[in-house]
Amino acid sequence: MIQSIIFYIFAALSVLLAVLVILQKNVMHSVLYLSFTILAISGVFFTLHAEFLGAVQILVYAGGIIVLYLFVIIIVNLKEIKAEKRNIFPKFFIVCISVLFLAEMIYIFFKNRISVPANADFPEFEALFEMLLSKYLIPFEIASILLLAVLIGSIIIARRKLLHDSD
Amino acid sequence: MIPINQIIALGLIIFVIGLFGVLFRKNLMIILMAIELMLNGVNVIFAGIGYHMKSPVGSIFAIFVILMAVAEAAVGFALALSYFRQKKTYDLDEISELKG
Repeated sequence: MIQSIIFYIFAALSVLLAVLVILQKNVMHSVLYLSFTILAISGVFFTLHAEFLGAVQILVYAGGIIVLYLFVIIIVNLKEIKAEKRNIFPKFFIVCISVLFLAEMIYIFFKNRISVPANADFPEFEALFEMLLSKYLIPFEIASILLLAVLIGSIIIARRKLLHDSD
Repeated sequence: MIPINQIIALGLIIFVIGLFGVLFRKNLMIILMAIELMLNGVNVIFAGIGYHMKSPVGSIFAIFVILMAVAEAAVGFALALSYFRQKKTYDLDEISELKG
């Protein structure tokens, strides 16, 4: 009962803050609301018995990605960003696409009764790591190769091209 | 137990908010943030299904999604920076030419 109440509080918070993220004019306010959204979603994870996932969410998103966003926004000059304008017809079209997609998915998921096979009891906390390092070992290692490729690739893309200078 | 329909509905709503942001905004940084919102919606659905299966598989898949989100964010920022050095703006209407 108390778990459901906490879940609903965090769910309402995350939806509200996610709406605020995409409606802000100032990019810095948007980053602020994105960090609050991330924290609210990690609260949802904690109520769903995914404690490790919630901790990773706080560490990686709120600690890593948000700081990256802040750095990138601080590097550029915010005053050079122009106000965006869009005609009324594309606006209407975009709103219709989003609403129709949501309605379709909710119709599909609520028309069919979803039943998932369940184990007897919640797993031990160690079961996640045992499964991650035995059954899902190959995706784990491939993910590390992906991170290495991202490290090298993003440096190569984002560096200033000084190689062609004479000095 | 929280009903699985409500968890999936929450994930879908967050996903659609992100989709709306990707389609509606023209600022590159806000579009990247909206993509993060979409990935978070998927993560909520994964965690909810793992919660109902009482199995750690949902958390494992969500961790892989987070890894992919980090990779996407890093490469996206690199592209955004090199783009900003050329055009001095984050407006996506200015990027609509194919010439480098």
